[in-house]
Amino acid sequence: MPDSISVNGEIHSIEADEDTPLLWILRDYVRLTGTKFGCGQGFCGACTVHLDGVPARSCQTTLKSARDKTITTIEALGKRHPRLVAVWAERNVAQCGYCQAGQLMSAAALLESNPSPSDSDIDSAMSGNICRCGTYGRIRSAIHEIAGEIA
Amino acid sequence: MTIHNLSRRDFITTSSILVLGTALPIKASRPDALAKEGLAPNLFVALGTDGTVTVTSHRSEMGQGIRTAIAQIVADEMEADWSYVQVAQAQGDRAYGDQNTDGSQSIRLFLDKLRQAGATARQMLETAAAHRWDVPASECEALNHFVEHKPSGRKLAYGELAAEASNLSVPRNVNLKAPEDFRYIGKGMKHVDADAIAAGTATYAADVRLPGMAIAVIVRPPRLGSHVVSVKLHQDAKSQAGFIGLETLNPTPGAPLFFPLGGVAVIAETTYAAMQTAKQLDIAWSDPSEAATTPSFNEKLRALVRSPSRPLFDSGDVDRVFETDGITLEAVYETPFLSHAPMEPPCALADVREDHTEVWASVQDPQSTRNQVAGWLKTDRENVAINVTLLGGAFGRKSKPDFVLEAVEISRRLKRPIRVQWSREDDIQHDYYHAASAQLYRATLDDTGMPKAWLQRTAFPSIMTTYVRGSNDPAGWELEMGFSNTPYRIPNQRFESKGLQPGVRIGWMRSVCNIFHAFSTNVFVDELAATAEIDPIEYRLALIPKSGILKVPGDQPPKGHGLDLARLRHVLERVRDLSEWTRHRPQGTGIGVAVHHSFRSYVATVIEAKVTGNNVKVQNAWVVLDCGTYVNSDSCIAQMEGAVAFGLSLARTDGITMADGSVDQSNFHDYPVIRMNESPAVSVELVASSAAPAGVGEPGVPPVAPALSNAIFNATGRRLRKLPLMLSS
Repeated sequence: MPDSISVNGEIHSIEADEDTPLLWILRDYVRLTGTKFGCGQGFCGACTVHLDGVPARSCQTTLKSARDKTITTIEALGKRHPRLVAVWAERNVAQCGYCQAGQLMSAAALLESNPSPSDSDIDSAMSGNICRCGTYGRIRSAIHEIAGEIA
Repeated sequence: MTIHNLSRRDFITTSSILVLGTALPIKASRPDALAKEGLAPNLFVALGTDGTVTVTSHRSEMGQGIRTAIAQIVADEMEADWSYVQVAQAQGDRAYGDQNTDGSQSIRLFLDKLRQAGATARQMLETAAAHRWDVPASECEALNHFVEHKPSGRKLAYGELAAEASNLSVPRNVNLKAPEDFRYIGKGMKHVDADAIAAGTATYAADVRLPGMAIAVIVRPPRLGSHVVSVKLHQDAKSQAGFIGLETLNPTPGAPLFFPLGGVAVIAETTYAAMQTAKQLDIAWSDPSEAATTPSFNEKLRALVRSPSRPLFDSGDVDRVFETDGITLEAVYETPFLSHAPMEPPCALADVREDHTEVWASVQDPQSTRNQVAGWLKTDRENVAINVTLLGGAFGRKSKPDFVLEAVEISRRLKRPIRVQWSREDDIQHDYYHAASAQLYRATLDDTGMPKAWLQRTAFPSIMTTYVRGSNDPAGWELEMGFSNTPYRIPNQRFESKGLQPGVRIGWMRSVCNIFHAFSTNVFVDELAATAEIDPIEYRLALIPKSGILKVPGDQPPKGHGLDLARLRHVLERVRDLSEWTRHRPQGTGIGVAVHHSFRSYVATVIEAKVTGNNVKVQNAWVVLDCGTYVNSDSCIAQMEGAVAFGLSLARTDGITMADGSVDQSNFHDYPVIRMNESPAVSVELVASSAAPAGVGEPGVPPVAPALSNAIFNATGRRLRKLPLMLSS
């Protein structure tokens, strides 16, 4: 019996082991590759997506537990938060870019729950996302720039 | 450089490109096919009749912004309108010249060639316009995508001239723009991949999919040189839908080189099925001949620097002065093995066919990858195409294409496209590690507190052990990274070096041996300054002559440039101002400085840290970079910001250890790197310079760890000589 999941407003019918991490469902089945594999253990945040608007590590989320949730990935973030995505690009936040989908998903969730985060709010919300290139300062600046614009 | 007109002459037989902002690689047959009926005077630029300019990046993008920088250079000299510029990614091909994106060399090697490539197109467009109007070419001037006839004010758009220009012969000599006319070079332009990255549509190796492909996950030998004796699935293994089969891979005898490590490959239709099955294998491994264990390895390193060896440099009479009056200091410094840990674990897709092999991979050097693949398959390199995707970080790891050869071998056996996906555990446990090291420094001070005799001794397993089995001595080029090319010259001075066998693969990691040599040198100089009771910056300025070019060993491009002592002093003086060095800081807050010359650049860094008990919080970093002429100012600043994070990771948290040949760490929980809450504010100053371009990607890393050690000393009086820097009671 195939599972069905809702990703970025579309329903996908998936035939896979229900314990399969959502990360691999998205990448190998739905074929949305913006969500990245970084560590597979929930340590790095590269695979962050939103489940019902809440940031989640898709490598630690099973297909089973994602069934009834609304899943949003980086591919749909620009529609909801065009300014966030635009400021990210204008400020050259990314270096290699591999972790940035996860960074953006975490940043968007932070700004939705807290439109004007302080530095320590940013530390708490963003410290689960590793950037080996070290773009943290720019991520912080970009979040501050957008703060207040997202209601 | 020979410049060919590809509009009329085939130069490369096949080429597939990644066009900016698209999710999947788009295949194009040749640079000239990009500009059908258009102009393609050389490998680096093509102009379509619609005005689109395609600049080819032959260097790999791993976050340093090289695709943008190359486009800036070519478009600037071409007088192209930036909004018409797109970037294609070159395959590995000798025709491009050096493609080894390594050693912070791209701009150093190619600034002039790329300027010529762009200027050639500009000049041909001016000539084409002159022919059209039947006026002297000297009256025609290219300006922002148009050629203008100045006396009459007539204008033609580039696209309108592309076809005519393509019929002209390529000029041998072209006029380059005056630097004051630069439109893009030197500006902090937005990266060409920034939008695609933020939209999640940028293509990395694991994002490329071929029809009929399968995924392979490999269980590699836990110890270097070990091979598979037997393999079977656990009795109670849960069968995975989509599991295809197992393939045993044998390690290649001899030095590790870039060959696969061997092991058992699990092939499946999906990544998860392959990964799950890989966890359910019973594998018996052979015992390797040598298996390093960290505590005894570190003991060996310390013993090596405590005993004399043949000097590689010896002036004056060091031993005699050591025995004379004056304070003599001696210190031993230690640094651990490190793993690159780029966010994107190694990944490669290979499609091996009877007569042609195509690879998509995140590799730093597609030419050496092509040669390795051709050698592995015993075929001509013309039968192998290497497509370079974006690299999700590399730091030196992805210059070794062992993971590509794995995909090639499995695809060859299974006769279908194979993507080899490394896990984070694979990455951290099977890296080409940055070498652990030890240094001993000894100096005797004269009555003004300055050194009158100086001994430095370094020991580490050489990268050459990866290439030549049994190779033992550090290579000259490794010592030229902050050791034999030290700017501190004392009348009585001796340098000694020693090597040893590592038991793991050794590779180069962002700034390589500069990491440990900058650490030991900068902390030692700080110790001398403290003993002499002189301010650490003043002390360094007293040690460095006011001007002059120090002839140092090493022949990094640009050739013939020594160490410019005035530039070294200048970055120190600037960082003193930038950091408000002399400002009073609260109790428990310390500042430390380090200065280093590497990859022909000069970097001075000040770190400010607040120490509470044994807890160290890095609050601020100030960095001054003199890299000569630069192309993208914002990329240079970003590289310094990133270097602070990379340097703090290795200073604070990193470290690989081995037990009986196996690496103890496996993921970011036990190989932690710096996170947002540990990331300081970073201020960067770029020195304006017309000097030859120097490196940017690496030189920011070496000063960070020593500056932090010196800051902790400043705050606490406790001297930390070993990485990672940990205060304990």
